[in-house]
Amino acid sequence: MSKSRGLLDDVRTTIARREIASLSREKTIVLALLIQLFIAAFSSFLVVGLTSLYDPSSVEGEGIRVGVSGDVQQDLNETAREVDGVTAVEYDTQDGALSSFDRGEVDAVLVANRTANGSRIDVTAIAPEENLRTTLVVVKIRELLTEFERTERDRRSVDLSFQPIELPEDADASPYFGFTYTVLIPLLLFLPPFISGSVSVDAVTEEIERGTLELLRVAPVSLVDIIDGKALGMALLAPAQALLWIFLLSLNNIAVSNVLPILVFVTAIATVVVVLGVVLGLATARRRQAQLLYSVLVILLFGLAIFLPEHPATTVAKLAVDSATLGTYAHVVGFSVGAALLYAGARRYASSIDVESL
Amino acid sequence: MIEVSDLRKEYGDFAAVEGSTFAVEDGEVFGIIGPNGAGKTTTLKMLAGLIEPTSGQVSVAGYDADDTEMRRRLGFLPEESPLYEEMTPISYLTFFADLYDVPSDVAEERIDETLSELDLDHRERQLGDMSKGMKRKVAIARSLINDPDVLIYDEPASGLDPLTTNYIIQFTERLAEEGKTIVFSAHNLFHVESICDRVAIMNEGSIVAKGDLETLQAEHGETEYHVYTTVEVPDSVKKNGRYRRVVNSMDEVEATREAATEAGGEVVDIRTEESSLEEVFLNVAESGRVEA
Amino acid sequence: MRPRKLLRIARWEVTKNAGGVDKRTLAVAGLAIALIAVLAPAVAAQGAVLDEGIYRVAVDEDSRYYDVVEENPTFVARPDATREDLGESVDLYIEDGYVSPAASPKGRAAKEELRSAVQAYNNEQLRQEANQSAAFPVSVSLEYREQSQAGGTLATDGEDPQQVRDPDNRSDNRTGDGTPVDGNGSNATDGTDGTDGTDGTDGTNGTDGTDGTDGTAGAPNSGGLGGAGSAISGDGDSVDSPSQLSPPFPFESLVLAFVFIIPMNFLIQAYGSTILSERLNRRGELLLVSPVSRYEIIGGKTLPYFAGAMAIEAVIAVGLTYVGTGTIGGLVSIAAILPLVALFLAATFVGAMFARSFKELTFVTVTITVGLTSYAFVPAIFTDVTPIALISPLTVVVRDLQGQAVAAPEFLFSVTPPLLSAIVLFGLGAGLYREEDMFAQRAIPLKVLDALAGPVRKRWHVGAMVAVLLPFVFVLQLLAIAVLFALGEVSIPLLLVVVAVVEEIAKSLPVYAAYAHKRFERSTVSALVLGAIAGAGFFVGEKITQLAQLVGLPELAQGQAALQIAPTDVGAPILIALFFLPLLLHGVTAAISAVGASRGKRAYVVALGVAMLVHLVYNLAVLSEVLGNV
Repeated sequence: MSKSRGLLDDVRTTIARREIASLSREKTIVLALLIQLFIAAFSSFLVVGLTSLYDPSSVEGEGIRVGVSGDVQQDLNETAREVDGVTAVEYDTQDGALSSFDRGEVDAVLVANRTANGSRIDVTAIAPEENLRTTLVVVKIRELLTEFERTERDRRSVDLSFQPIELPEDADASPYFGFTYTVLIPLLLFLPPFISGSVSVDAVTEEIERGTLELLRVAPVSLVDIIDGKALGMALLAPAQALLWIFLLSLNNIAVSNVLPILVFVTAIATVVVVLGVVLGLATARRRQAQLLYSVLVILLFGLAIFLPEHPATTVAKLAVDSATLGTYAHVVGFSVGAALLYAGARRYASSIDVESL
Repeated sequence: MIEVSDLRKEYGDFAAVEGSTFAVEDGEVFGIIGPNGAGKTTTLKMLAGLIEPTSGQVSVAGYDADDTEMRRRLGFLPEESPLYEEMTPISYLTFFADLYDVPSDVAEERIDETLSELDLDHRERQLGDMSKGMKRKVAIARSLINDPDVLIYDEPASGLDPLTTNYIIQFTERLAEEGKTIVFSAHNLFHVESICDRVAIMNEGSIVAKGDLETLQAEHGETEYHVYTTVEVPDSVKKNGRYRRVVNSMDEVEATREAATEAGGEVVDIRTEESSLEEVFLNVAESGRVEA
Repeated sequence: MRPRKLLRIARWEVTKNAGGVDKRTLAVAGLAIALIAVLAPAVAAQGAVLDEGIYRVAVDEDSRYYDVVEENPTFVARPDATREDLGESVDLYIEDGYVSPAASPKGRAAKEELRSAVQAYNNEQLRQEANQSAAFPVSVSLEYREQSQAGGTLATDGEDPQQVRDPDNRSDNRTGDGTPVDGNGSNATDGTDGTDGTDGTDGTNGTDGTDGTDGTAGAPNSGGLGGAGSAISGDGDSVDSPSQLSPPFPFESLVLAFVFIIPMNFLIQAYGSTILSERLNRRGELLLVSPVSRYEIIGGKTLPYFAGAMAIEAVIAVGLTYVGTGTIGGLVSIAAILPLVALFLAATFVGAMFARSFKELTFVTVTITVGLTSYAFVPAIFTDVTPIALISPLTVVVRDLQGQAVAAPEFLFSVTPPLLSAIVLFGLGAGLYREEDMFAQRAIPLKVLDALAGPVRKRWHVGAMVAVLLPFVFVLQLLAIAVLFALGEVSIPLLLVVVAVVEEIAKSLPVYAAYAHKRFERSTVSALVLGAIAGAGFFVGEKITQLAQLVGLPELAQGQAALQIAPTDVGAPILIALFFLPLLLHGVTAAISAVGASRGKRAYVVALGVAMLVHLVYNLAVLSEVLGNV
C-alpha cells in the first residue's frame, strides 16, 4: 500500500464500500433496520405492557377491596385506612369472607389470627388466580401487610435493639427505569456489534467458499487489504446502528446521555468481535464452523468480562444514565486501545496466511 | 432413446430455448454445439429433468423427464461440478451409489473399476484438496455409478489441460463403444467432430442446423479444391516449388487447368478439402439460417 | 417419501461434516462451552453488578442512611456533594434524615430504589435480633384461588402446614425441600430482580441467602433461575415477613423460555448454513438429478437438526421436571416444544432458500430469531395472567413444568398454528428447491411469487393456497393480540387494521403470483372468478381456525374483534347472517384485489389498498353491531 494515496482512493476503502454496497443491494440493511424497528416496538411494548401489568400505580383504578376476618381484623382494617387504594371490609367469619370472594365482591381475603402464644400474627392471604388484577392485588396486599407489620413491630419495639430506619416515602418512579438502563439499553447497543461480527464471519468465509478470494488476489491487493476493507465496513456499521437505536429510544422518551463515548465504546466492542469473526473465518475457512465458534466464543467473552473492573454492560448503562465515573471513561479508553491492538494482531495474522492454503 | 419435441423455455419475456425438436437413437453420440448463451446448457438440463420446460415434450428412455425412473437410468455431468469438498472420492461415490439404489457390493466393485479406468489415485483424499482434473474424473465416475443407459455431459472437458481433456474424450469414446447413448455439448468442436455421430448447432435459443457430419458439410459446408500447377496462375501461391490455387467449384478447377495449359504448364495434383465442423459452425452462425 | 433414502441423506448430512477440520472446531467449541458452564455461577453471582453505581447519593457519613447506601452496590456515596449538585453530579441528596431526589425520572427512580434498599437493610438488621417474633411479627401464607369456583372447598387457615415460623429454618423456608439454597450464587436474574422496582423483595438482596428463590415467594410463576426448579412446583407460598411477598412476575417464564429457545438459535445457524451451502456453486445440483425426490433431500438434511434439537429440548424438559418435581416427566413439554422446533427450522429453511449470500442469511437468521423468540416468548410471560398466553406453545411448557394440567383443547389450540405454519413453510420452501430458484440470483419477491405460484395449476388451487396460508394469518393475528392487548380498549381498532391488512394480503398474494406466472388468462371475468375462489378458500380455512373458541379466547373483546366470533345471544337469522356475511366479504375483497392483480403490479397495489379499506369498514361495522347487541 503506497502511503501517498489518500484515504478515499485507498483500495481498502473501496473494498469496505463494496462490502456495504453489497449489503444494501441485497436489501439486508433494510432488513436490519426492520429488525431494529421491530425490537424497538417490542421493547417499548415490554416496558409499557409490563408497567401497566405489574405496576399498580400505572393502572388507573378504584383500588381493591379486601375482605378481612380473624381475631386481629380490626387492626388490619385500621391499617388499611392509611394505605392508598385499599378498602377493607370486615367479616365475622372466614367462610363469609370467602363466599364474598367467590362472588367477586372482594378482590382478596385476609384471615389474620394470633398464634397460640400470642407472640405473632399469622395471615392467610387469598388472591385471585389467573387474572389480570392478580398482580395488582398482591402488590396492594403486600403494601397493606408491610404497613401492618410495621405497626405491630412498633408495638414490640421495646424488645428490639435495632430501631428500623425510616423509609423514604414513595417516589412515584417508573419501576422500569433501572431495567431500561441496565438491561434494555446495553442489550440493544450490543446487538449491532454482535451482528457485525457475525456478518464479518460471512464476508470472509463466503469469499473462501465461493472461491472469489482468488479473484480478488489477482487484483493488486493483499489479503491484509481485503481484511481491512471487510473489517472496516462491518466495524463502522455497528455504531451507525447504535446511533439509530439511541434515536429510536429517544422517540420512546428514553434519554441516553454521553452519546459520543457510547458510540466510541460500541465501535471498540464491534472491532473486537469483528476481529474475532475475521480470524475465525480465516482459521476455519468454513462458515458453519466459524459461526458456531463465533457464537460460543462471544458468549464466553461476555461472561469473562465480569473479571474486568466494570462489565461492558455496566459501562454502557452508566454512560447512558449519566452516572459515569472516571473508571467508566478509563474503560472506554482501555477498550479502544485494546481493540486497536487486537486489530493490529489480526492484520499480522492475516499477513502470515498463505492464501493458496485457504 | 431420447425424443424432444418443440421444447421451449422462457425466463420472463426472454426465450432461452425455443422450438427445439430432435431425437437421439439408441447408442448414438449426439453433440450440441453453439456459442455461449445459445441455450445448450438449458436444453441439457431440461433433458435431465432439472429444469421444467415452459412447453414441449421431453422423453428419455420412454419416461417423462420428471419421472424418477428416468433419473435412475441417466448419468448427468454438469458443466461445473462442485463436489462436497469435505468428502473423499470413495465416500462421495458410495453416497451416490446408495441414492441410486446400487447394491453395496456392486457399487464397491464399480467404484474401484471406474476409478482405475480413470487413473484416479488418492481415493481417501478430501475432494477439496484435489486438482480440477481429478475432481472432474470423480464427477465422471459419479455419472457412471448407476451404470446408466443415457449420459448427458455438459462440456465434459472444459477448462482442463490438453492431456486430461484428451483422456476424458477418449474415455467418453470408450463409453460410446460400450453402447451408451451420449448427449454432450462442447465449445471445442474438434472433440465433437472426433466422436459424434450427429450434431445439432444452436444459436440464440434455436437449433439452426442438425444432422450427421456429412449432411451438415453438404448443406452448410463448402468443399475446397486445392489445385497444384507447375506454373504460376492467377490467385496462386507458390509452395514447395509448385503453385497452389484454392477454388470452390469444379468449373473453377477447369478454368485453372486451362490457364495452366495456356501458360505452358500443367496441373500436377488436385485435392479436395471438406469443411471442418468449425467452419460449418461459423457458416451457420454467420448466416443465422434456421433449419426448417 | 421413502424413509430409507431420507435416512441415507440424513446419515450423509451428519458424516460429511465429520472431517478433520470439524473435530478441531468441535473441540474448541466444546472447551468454550465447558468454560461457559464453569463461569456461569460466577456470572450469575455477579448479575447484580449490572446496575452497579447507577445512582449517586449525597449522604453524610454520620447519617443513618449512609450504611444503607454503602452496602448497596446500586448506589455510590458522595459525602462531599452539596445540595447544588443535586441533578448534576448526584441524584439524591440526604440531609437530616430527609431524602430529596433530583427532579428527573432518574432522581425518582433513585429514591424508589433507596426505599427498597432501606427496607432490605432494616430486614437484615432485624434478622440479627434475638427476639424474632418482635422483629417479624407478621407471617403470611399466600394462596391463589379461582374466584368463580364454589366457595368453601379449600381448607385455609393459620395452621397451614407449609408455613414456617422457626427462625432457624428460615433460609430454606420457601423451597420446602430442606436444602439450604446457596446464597446469591443461585440467582442469575438477580440484576433484573433488583432493578425492576416492583419487586419489594429485592430488598432482601444479599441478606437472607435465598435470593434465588425469593421470586418464588408469591406466585405460581415467579422466581429466578436459581429457584426455577423449586419454584415451578410451588403454587402459593408462605413467608415470614409481608415484605417478602412478591406478585406474580414472569421471571420464571422468561428464564424457562430462554432455556428452551437459546439452543434453537445456535442450531438454526448451522442448519441455515448447510441448506445455503447446497446452493452455493450449484453444489446441490447433482442431488437433484439423482432418483431422490426433493422432499427426501429436504427431509434428510433436516432430520439430524430436528432430532438434535428435540434431544436437547427433551433433556432440558426432563431435567427441569426432575429438578422441579423430583419425578421423571415432561412429556407434555416435549410434545409442546416440537412444533416450535419445527417452526424454527422451517423458517430458517425458507430463509436459506431465499438468501443469496451468507451475509444475507445472517440477517435472515437474526430476523427469525427475534421474530420467533418474541412469538414464543412474549405470550409465555403472561402464562398465569391470561388465556391469550396459550398462543405460544411455550406457555404449555411453562404450565407443564409448574405441574399444572393442560387440557387437550388448550394443547391443540397452542400447538396447531405453529405446527401448521411449519408444514406450510416447509412446503413453500420445497417449492423453491429446484434448479431455477436454488442456483440463480433471483430477487426475493420473485422467489416468494415462485413459491406461491409453484403448485398452482388449476383455478381451485388458488383457493387451496389461500387456505394453506391461514396458519400464518392466524399466528400473526394472535401475536398482534398478544402485543396489543396491554393497550386496553384502544387495541381493538388497531387490531382491526392488522386483521384487514394481513387477511387481504393472504387472500390476494396467491392470485397475484398466479397471474405473474401466467397461469391464467388476464381478463376481468377470470379475475372475478379467481377472487371468489380465493375468498371462499379463506372463508373455509377461517371457519376451521375458529377452534379458538375451544379455549375461551373469545371471552376477550380483542379475541372477538380478531376472530369475528358471533355472540350467542342473538336471534337465529342474525346468527346465520353473521356466519355467511364473512363469505360475502372475503369474496368481494378478494375479487377487488384479483382484478387489480390481473392488470399488473401497480393496479394490484392500489386494488389491495381498496380491499383492505373495505375490509376495515366492514369489520368496524360488524364490531359496533355486535357490541351493540350484547
